[in-house]
Amino acid sequence: MASLRISQVGVRGVVGRGGITARHVLDFGAAFATFLATEGPVVIARDPRASGLMLREGLVAALLAAGRDVIDLGIASTPVIQHTIRQRQAAGGVSISASHNAAEWNALKFFGPLGTYLTTAEADELLDIYHLRRFYAAPWNKLGRVEMDNSAIDRYLDELSEVFHFDRLRQFRVVVDCSNGTSSRILRRLNERFGFSLILINAAMDGRFAHEPSTSARVVGLQLAPLVQPLSADAGFLFDADSDRVAFATELGEPASEELILPMLSDYLLPRSEGKIVLTNLSTTSLNEEVASWHGGKVVRVPVGRNAAIDALNAHRPEQIALAGEGTGAVMMPQFRFVYDGIATMLTLLEKSAAREQPLSQLVAALPGYSMLKGEVPLNRHRIPQLLELLATSFGEVSINRQDGLRVDLPSGRWGDNAWFHVRVSQTEPFVRVITEARGAAPQDLFDEVMETTRAHA
Amino acid sequence: MTKREHLLKIGVSGIRGVVGEFLTPALACAFAQAFGTYTGRGRVILGRDTRSSGPMLEHAVTCGLLSAGCDVVQVGVLPTPTIQMYVAATGALGGIALTASHNPPEYNALKLFNEQGQFFNHYERGELIDLFHQGEFTDAGNFELGTISQEYSTPARMHFERVLKCVNRDRIRQRNFHAAIDAVNGAGSILTPHFLEHELGCRLEAISVDPTQPFPREAEPTPQSLGDLKELMKHTGAEIGFAQDPDGDRLAVAKPDGTLLDNDEVLALVVDAVLSRMPGNVVVNLTTSSVIDEVAAWHGCKVFRSAVGEANVVERMLAHSAVIGGEGSNGGIIFPTVHYCRDSYTGMAFLLDRMAETGLGITELAARLPKFHRASTKVGFQHGRLAGIIQATEARFPEARADRTDGLKLIFPDGAWLHVRGSNTEPLMRLSVESREAERTQMLLKAGTDILGS
Repeated sequence: MASLRISQVGVRGVVGRGGITARHVLDFGAAFATFLATEGPVVIARDPRASGLMLREGLVAALLAAGRDVIDLGIASTPVIQHTIRQRQAAGGVSISASHNAAEWNALKFFGPLGTYLTTAEADELLDIYHLRRFYAAPWNKLGRVEMDNSAIDRYLDELSEVFHFDRLRQFRVVVDCSNGTSSRILRRLNERFGFSLILINAAMDGRFAHEPSTSARVVGLQLAPLVQPLSADAGFLFDADSDRVAFATELGEPASEELILPMLSDYLLPRSEGKIVLTNLSTTSLNEEVASWHGGKVVRVPVGRNAAIDALNAHRPEQIALAGEGTGAVMMPQFRFVYDGIATMLTLLEKSAAREQPLSQLVAALPGYSMLKGEVPLNRHRIPQLLELLATSFGEVSINRQDGLRVDLPSGRWGDNAWFHVRVSQTEPFVRVITEARGAAPQDLFDEVMETTRAHA
Repeated sequence: MTKREHLLKIGVSGIRGVVGEFLTPALACAFAQAFGTYTGRGRVILGRDTRSSGPMLEHAVTCGLLSAGCDVVQVGVLPTPTIQMYVAATGALGGIALTASHNPPEYNALKLFNEQGQFFNHYERGELIDLFHQGEFTDAGNFELGTISQEYSTPARMHFERVLKCVNRDRIRQRNFHAAIDAVNGAGSILTPHFLEHELGCRLEAISVDPTQPFPREAEPTPQSLGDLKELMKHTGAEIGFAQDPDGDRLAVAKPDGTLLDNDEVLALVVDAVLSRMPGNVVVNLTTSSVIDEVAAWHGCKVFRSAVGEANVVERMLAHSAVIGGEGSNGGIIFPTVHYCRDSYTGMAFLLDRMAETGLGITELAARLPKFHRASTKVGFQHGRLAGIIQATEARFPEARADRTDGLKLIFPDGAWLHVRGSNTEPLMRLSVESREAERTQMLLKAGTDILGS
């Protein structure tokens, strides 16, 4: 795997030679300061990775040199940064976190004055400034200053407490796997200030990770799920390092697919929401459409990636949207101003459980079963246009979406109900990704056929 | 010819420049990473003066040192001598002071120290600059990255303890001297008043001791820049006045009438004080007054000369096991018992101790020194002209003995001398002359200036 990637998402890589170096950090910090259009400070925070200090020092130096004041939240989650940008009327923010990647990785993620991810056009501009290397330098007597803000997490929890009925939620006995990330600090505070009884594991923030901080059913199964029943817990939740994603296990200690989180929340929020649009990408489960149809909702699918999601949000009025999310356990809700927030997602799931008076296992069981098969094929021949054209025309009368590779939704029949496949080139690795899904049993034949065609062309 | 301005200089003396477009965080970070690559993994001490660009550069340099796998010990705002001493005292691999010393506030620089807390010598500087240009830095991976710690109070305490052990503190305190200080709002702003008032028992008149404010005067303490101190002296009747530069290595001393002692006189008084209790070799730079030779002769001690620059003086001091040294030209006193660095605190303590010991005022002490007439000037020039100027100067004075250690120093049979050299840090040519008679000094200055102007 490539150990450095500079793209619209920012800079991400393994820290050290061949990956992220101090130079990348300083140049990206300078580019971001040059890019920012509005006056005001820049909010930053980091996850507990050991390399976070080095990245912070470089980033702060670059921002100060460009005349930007810096509000440093220390170790805090990406959602806390995003909330603070708005609260402190900042010009933007930077999160120092490689979220779900392993401990030796790190990354810079950039946010605009509304606390949201950059749009595709903005991300392009930032990248151009980075490559152009003509960074703005403030005069020597107009450099910025650093302010440590240690109350940002409390203000964030205050905002959560205004949206959720904490008195109903604190009764839950929940085990949380913090993945040695930022959720440890936030949830400990939730216990202290609001009397929650969350049992935290992997809560040390010393830069070492007990396991890869990835929000998947597989990782939930490693350490968290086996603890749920012995601890008589109502649920187990697992966060990635910067706490914007979440995964869970039911009270029976069964890991749930991360794909279920968005439909479970739609099912709860659509009836309560003025907006009827569920925004997601082309790779997520069709269960989203089925659940939306129960409540008069509509699923809008966009290309994979956070910039595309922000582009789509900007193309709608906020009140049209019920919620938006990925299949990774990252969900954003309008009441939190469209911030991917794992902790808010956890609280919403618990609220649904309280409102329905059903444990999580029953909420999961109430959803129709879908089966997904995923594969990847290394890029060799690069005959991607031919591949997509062939796949688009090989399955008869189908519904086609070409926004990001090719998504084909198939009519009921030979391939089962609600069957579809999505074939796209990865943004992060040299692979073609293949996803197939159907209602009920796994569409093995469909998967095999698409994979075979892909292997012949990729 | 366009005016040559040194807005940025990367060379054997480190990296120095105008902050903004020239001295950028990326450059400071890369240089620090080269430094950390040179020292290897271990502790590096990082401090700074009060310049507004200090915090920004502190972050950039910390980033570079961490990337090289060093552990960074931040000591905050401290005088350069304090930082140097702390490097040596704590077994660190090296140190960096963020200060452009006496340069104007828009400048900043990285001063680099080796594990002895001394300026990098010629060879070390060469190796480091090669590393910097090669760009093959250590890029530590996640678990090899160093940590940051802070140590704000210990270094100054250690520094003062060392200085105070070398003087008779009680007799100074008993005198309850009425003293004045102008710290230029620099690194000495908090520490120097503490030192004079609480450690040495002075009644203190202090100006420019707010480290949060910009420099209120030219950073270099000169008769032209110290008008406020002069007024303060006259107004309050203080017995002695001190002025520091922003990083507290240089010292200027004012008499009760507000006029300044010549820096050579200050050094001579300290040399006298040191040699009177521990005779030994003395090292000063070539452009320092012959008053040092006479004072050393009082004690039967020898004086050795070095090229201009603290690192050069220290190198010669080490070679000759000197007990005291310095640079009269710029107010630098180097007393190895405390540390091999220019230290204004050593100067202040010895002068007050000498006053307490003799019962004399600073004016009377200075009056006892043999009288020399010095003059100096500087002209902007292109370095390519130096050779021609040196040759013309030597041809003009065939009767003089030549010393070519640093530019050209001509020493006349009557002891008068003329020294012409190119500045290490600026596109300047410096000319200094000295003799026992005012007229002869003026004659030498005019002759030298004529050659420079031709």
